[in-house]
Amino acid sequence: MNFITGRHLSRRALLRGSGAAIALPFLDAMHPAFAGPVKPVRRLAVIYVPNGIIMNQWTPAEIGAGFEFTRILKPLEPFRGDITVISGLQNKSADKAQGGGHAKASGSFLSSAQPKYTAGADVHAGTTFDQVAAKQWASETRVSSLQLGCEDSRMVGNCDTGSSCAYTNTLSWKNPDTPLAVDVNPRSVFERLFGNVDPSLSPAVRARRALYRKSMLDLTQESTRKLEQDLGAADRRKMDEYLTSVREVEQRMAAAEKDTRVAPVDKPSGIPFQFSEYVKLMFDLQAIAFQSDLSRVSTMMIGREGSVRTYPEIDVPDPHHPLTHHRGHPDFIEKVTKINCFHVELFAHFVAKLKATQDGDGTLLDHSAILYGGALSDGNAHSNSNLPLLLAGRDGGRHLHCEKPTPVANLFVTLLNGAGVNLETFGDSTGSLDLRA
Amino acid sequence: MTPRFGSLPIILFLSACATAFFANEAFADEAGLRSFVSANCNGCHNEKVSSAGINFSAYSDTKTFSDNRAIWERVLAKVKAGEMPPPGMPKPPAADIAAVSSWLESEFARQDAAVKPDAGRVAARRLNRAEYNNTVRDLLGVNIHPADDFPADQAAFGFDDISDALNMSSVLLEKYADAAELSVRTAIFGAPKLKPSMTHYPLPVRLNDARGTKTQIPDAAHYDLTGLSTLHAAHAIHDFPVDATYSFRLVLNGHRPNQSMPAQVGFWIDGKLIQEIDVDATDLEGQVREVRTKVTAGEHLLSASYIKQFHGLPPSYKGPEPSTRPPEPLINPRGALTQKDIETLRRLGTTIKTDGIESRIDNRFESIDVGGPFDQTTGPSPESIRRIFTCGRTAAQQNAACAKQIVTSFAERAFRRPLEAKEADPYVSLYALARKQGDSFEEGIAAALEGVMVSPNFLYRIERDRPVTTKSDAVPVTDYEMASRLSYFIWSSMPDAELLRLAGEHRLRQPAVLEAQVRRMLKDEKARAIVENFAGEWLQFRNIDVVRPDGQRFPDFDESLRYSMKRETELFVENIVRQDGSVLDFLDADYSFLDERLARFYGVQGVTGPEFRKVDMSGTERGGGILAQASILTISSYATRTSPVLRGKWILENLLNAPPPPPPPSVPALDDTKVGQSASLRQQMEAHRQSAVCASCHSKMDPLGFGLENLNAIGAWRDVDGKFPVDSSGMLPGGRTFNGPKELKALLMKDRDAFVAGLTEKLMIYALGRGLERYDKPALQSIEANTAAHDYRFSQLVIGVVESLPFEMKRVREAAPLSAVASNKLEGSK
Repeated sequence: MNFITGRHLSRRALLRGSGAAIALPFLDAMHPAFAGPVKPVRRLAVIYVPNGIIMNQWTPAEIGAGFEFTRILKPLEPFRGDITVISGLQNKSADKAQGGGHAKASGSFLSSAQPKYTAGADVHAGTTFDQVAAKQWASETRVSSLQLGCEDSRMVGNCDTGSSCAYTNTLSWKNPDTPLAVDVNPRSVFERLFGNVDPSLSPAVRARRALYRKSMLDLTQESTRKLEQDLGAADRRKMDEYLTSVREVEQRMAAAEKDTRVAPVDKPSGIPFQFSEYVKLMFDLQAIAFQSDLSRVSTMMIGREGSVRTYPEIDVPDPHHPLTHHRGHPDFIEKVTKINCFHVELFAHFVAKLKATQDGDGTLLDHSAILYGGALSDGNAHSNSNLPLLLAGRDGGRHLHCEKPTPVANLFVTLLNGAGVNLETFGDSTGSLDLRA
Repeated sequence: MTPRFGSLPIILFLSACATAFFANEAFADEAGLRSFVSANCNGCHNEKVSSAGINFSAYSDTKTFSDNRAIWERVLAKVKAGEMPPPGMPKPPAADIAAVSSWLESEFARQDAAVKPDAGRVAARRLNRAEYNNTVRDLLGVNIHPADDFPADQAAFGFDDISDALNMSSVLLEKYADAAELSVRTAIFGAPKLKPSMTHYPLPVRLNDARGTKTQIPDAAHYDLTGLSTLHAAHAIHDFPVDATYSFRLVLNGHRPNQSMPAQVGFWIDGKLIQEIDVDATDLEGQVREVRTKVTAGEHLLSASYIKQFHGLPPSYKGPEPSTRPPEPLINPRGALTQKDIETLRRLGTTIKTDGIESRIDNRFESIDVGGPFDQTTGPSPESIRRIFTCGRTAAQQNAACAKQIVTSFAERAFRRPLEAKEADPYVSLYALARKQGDSFEEGIAAALEGVMVSPNFLYRIERDRPVTTKSDAVPVTDYEMASRLSYFIWSSMPDAELLRLAGEHRLRQPAVLEAQVRRMLKDEKARAIVENFAGEWLQFRNIDVVRPDGQRFPDFDESLRYSMKRETELFVENIVRQDGSVLDFLDADYSFLDERLARFYGVQGVTGPEFRKVDMSGTERGGGILAQASILTISSYATRTSPVLRGKWILENLLNAPPPPPPPSVPALDDTKVGQSASLRQQMEAHRQSAVCASCHSKMDPLGFGLENLNAIGAWRDVDGKFPVDSSGMLPGGRTFNGPKELKALLMKDRDAFVAGLTEKLMIYALGRGLERYDKPALQSIEANTAAHDYRFSQLVIGVVESLPFEMKRVREAAPLSAVASNKLEGSK
C-alpha cells in the first residue's frame, strides 16, 4: 500500500496534548455538503460489553434531565451533557431465535435478525446497522468500517451450546451471510488505517511497488476469469468472492494515491500486557481513525459474550461469565458490578478523548454517536429486554425511558437517520426513537 | 451439522439379540411407532410444550423418517438408553421399547442401504493461516510465519480448514499481498532491517515472605537445582521477529540472607541454559543484569531462575553447602544504623537499601525486558536462493530467458501442478515491467513471484472440472490434486518434490505407493502439522495458549508451566502420529512426556532437568492418556475452579462422539459456580438432575466430570477440595459405576468403538475440508473397521481416510445455476 507512516512526524501527534489542530482542511472541505441547521453525525461507534449488567446499579432512578449517575455510570458524570441513558429497549429477535443465550444475543444485537441455529459453516444472521452506515460512507473513507475486539477470538469449538462462534466473535455483519472478522491486534488495526509500508523507502520505490501490485491485480483478474470456465458453481462463487476482494483492494489503492495523510502516532508493537492499557489503545486507534476521517464507523467488543476473562487488577480474580450467573448471591453481584464499573471507567477515557479533540466547528464527540452497552441486561437470566444502553454525543444530559417495551431497532433507525441514511424501518423496528422527547 | 451415527455409546445396554427376543409385533411398523410416541412422548413434546425443541405432532406424515432422520436417531438413542421418558415419568414396557427400537434400527438400515455412493464435493479451499505459513516455508525456504497476524480463520465443524467457512475479503487479500511481498523479498534480499524495540514483561509477585518467617530449607536431593520450577523463577514467552542478537534485561527483586554466598542467576531459552551470573547482594530490589545472545525467529520461552537456590545460605539455615563467609559482626537491627553498620551492609552486597539485617529468602524477578533485534542477520539464506534462482544468479545468467525459467518453475511449485501453455506469461510480464521501470533483475523476479503468490491458483487449492467421458457420478481427482490433498492433510503444506514426481509419473495412486507415501509423510517432521492443527482443534488444546488461570489460587501456573503442559500433549500426540502408536492411547496409556517442571507438578519422582522424555506413568495416581494431562484438564476448567459440567461435556464431545444437545430454551444452564465451595454442591447438582429435563443430559455429563475431580483446575492432583475430601465416584446412566480417574478411563476404554468412530469422523472432516453427509457413512464404517483390525494404529486410520471414496474422488460437476452466481456478484459491494 502506498501510505506513509510518518514516524518523523510523530512529535506532532494529534492526540497527544493540545496539538489537535492539524490536517483539518480536508475535513472542513466536506462540510458544505452537510451544511444546515442540524449538522448530521458523521461518526458511529458501538462499544460492546458482554454478559449483561447489574441493572439496578446501572439504571438511573430519575427520568429526564438532572438524573443522578448510578454507581456504574459514575465515571461518565463529568460528561453529563453528552450522555443519554436509554432504558426500556428490547431485542425480541434474540428471544425468538434458537441457540445459546449468549450467541443469540450478540448474534442479533445490531441487526435485530434471528441468527440461524448452527455450529457449521452455514451461519446466517442479518446485516447490522453499523454496516448500513459504513456502506453509505464507503466511498469517502479509506476504511469503510473497523471491527475491533479486546479478547482473543482464536478459541475453537462450539462457542455457545451449539451456536457458531461467528455469533459471539463479532458484532458486525456485512450481509446476512458475512460476519466481519474482529481485529484484536492494535498493530494490525494501525496497518489497516495507515498501510503496511516500510517508511524508509523512497517515494519513487514506493510508487514502483504500487505499480507492480496494481499490475498483478489486473493480471490475476484476467486469468481468474479464464479459470472460472472450468469450475463448478461452488468454486465459481469462491472465485467471485476473490474477484470482488481484488476490485476492492484496487479501489482502495486508487483512493490512497490521492491521499497523503500520515499516521499521527507511532505504530503499536502489539497487544499491551495490561488489559486497561490494551482497551485504551484500541479506543485511541478509533479516535485517530475518526479524527483523520480514515473511517467513520467502528464496533468494538471489550469482551465476547461468554467471556471468562478474570479481573485481578480490580480484585475480581473470578471468571466473568460464571459470576454473572449469580442467582442473587450478593458477593457475585458485587463482583459483576465491579467489572461493569471498570468497563465504564475505560469507556470514559474514550469519551474524554473525543471531547478533547477539535473537529471542524466543534469537538469530535459533537460529531459522533457512540453507543455503549450490551445485548443482555440481566446476565443471570440471559434477558434481552430493558437493554443497558447509553449514547455519548451531542445533546445529551437526559435519561430517556421507554414506558412500553420498544424494539432496539427503533434506536438504530434514529441513529442511521441522524447519520444521514434515509430509511424508515430496520429489523423489527416500529418507528424511530425521539432522542429529544 | 455433522450427522451422528449409531446410538449414544456409553450406555448401550440392549444387545441386538435381546431386541429380537422382545420383539413385539404391535409396534413393528410406522403406525405402531406413532402410537408409542403418542402414549409415551407427546406429554412433553407437543405443539404447546416442545421440550428440547421437539414437537412430535409435527412428524405425522409419511416422509417423517427421511426428512427428520436426526430427530429419530435421537429418539432411538434416548429410548434405548432408558433416558426417555425421563425418571419420574411412567416407563413403557421393555418389550415395547425393544420393538420400537428394533423397528427404527431396521428402518434406518433400509434407508442407508438405499443411499447411493457419493464422493461429495468440496469447493476451492483457501489456504488458512497455518497452511499459508507452512507453504511459504516450503516454497521459499523462509520461516517467518507471515500469516500470524491475519484475522482468525472462521471455523466450522470444529476445524478451521473447512472450505465453506474460509471466506475471502479485501482486508484479507491485502494481507495476502503484503505477506507475499514480505516473504518473497525476505527470500531474495533477506529479512527487512528492523528497528530495535523493547518489550517489557512485568512478572506477578508469587512469593513475598514476611520478615521473620522461617523458610523450610529442603536438602539438596529434594529440590529443583535449576530453580526453573520454583516460584522464585520467572518465565515469559516472546515472539522474535527475525534471527538476530537480542538483549535481555533481568530485573531482580526480593532478598537473600546476609552472609549468603552470591546468588546464581540463570538465564534460559527454551529450557537451555544460556548464561549464569553471580549476584552478590542481600537486597536484590531493582538490581539489573543483562544477557545478550543470538536467537532464531519465532516464539521462545525465556526463563530466569536462581540456580541452587538453597545452597550457600548461612550455616544457621542448615542448607546444603553452607556459606563459607565469615560471620559478620552484629549490626544493631533497631534504631539508626551507624556508619560502620552501613559499611558492613554494603560489603555484604546490600547496595540499594540499608535497613537492617536480612533473613528472608524471597529472591525473585521483577521483570524481563527484551530488546532488539541487534546485529540482524542480513542477506538471503542460501536455501532460499537455491530454491528460487534455478538457473543461476551471476550477471551473465541474468537474462530474460533465465527469468522466464525461474518464474515458470516457481509458479509450477506454487500452483502445485504443471502449468498450462502460456500460463506463466502474465508473471513473466511483471518481470519485464519492472525491468522497464529500471529495476534490477532480482527486483523483477520479486515482482513476478509476488504476482504468482496473489493468484487464486496459489491462494486456493482449486480442483478443476474437466470434460467427463464416463457415465459415473464420481471421478478421481488428478494425481497432482491427490498430491495436494495428501500433503495438506498430513503436513498442512504443499507437496514436496517426491510427491510431485510420483504424481507426474502417475504412480501416486498405486495402492502400495500411496501407502508407502503416507507412512513416509507421517514419519516426517512436517507431520507435526497434524498434531498442531488437527489434534489442537479436536482436543482443543490450542486453547492452552489463551487460558489465564487465577494467579492467586494457582501461583504454580506460569508461562513455563503453560509451555510444559502444551509440550506434553504435543509430544504425546506427535509420538502417536510419528511412531505409529495406537489411537487408544488417547483414552489411556501408561506413559507420557515430562520435563522436571511438569514432573514436579505431577509429583513424579526422578525426572531432572528441562528436557522432555518419555516417562512411565503406570505407578502414578493420575495415570496416562489425554485425561491425565494438565493441558486438557486446564482448558476444560474455569480460571478459578474445576467444572464437572465442562469436563463432562468435553469428554462427551471429544472422546465419546456424543455431544450433548443445548439446554432447552426455557431451562437455564446448570449453574455450577459453587463447585468446590460447599459440601452440598455434589448434592446440589444431584438435585438438579432430579429435574427430568436437566437429567437427560446432566446424568451423563456430570458423573464423567466428577470422575476427574481429583485433578484441580490446572491439573494438579488433590485429595481434598477446600475442606472436603474429593469424591470422584460416579454412576453412568445404565448403572455402570466407577471410582476415580483410573476406573473412569477403564470404562471409556470399553467404549473404544464410539471413540474410534468419533475420531474417524473428525479426521475425515479435517481431511476433506467439509462437513460429513449421510452418504459418507459407508466410508467411515470401513475405516473404523480397518483401524480396529490393525491394532488401532494411527497410520491405518490415515491410510483408511486417504484410500476412501470421498478422499480419492469427487462428484461430477453439478450444473451451475447461473442465477446463483449472478446474485453472488451483486452482494460484493464495498
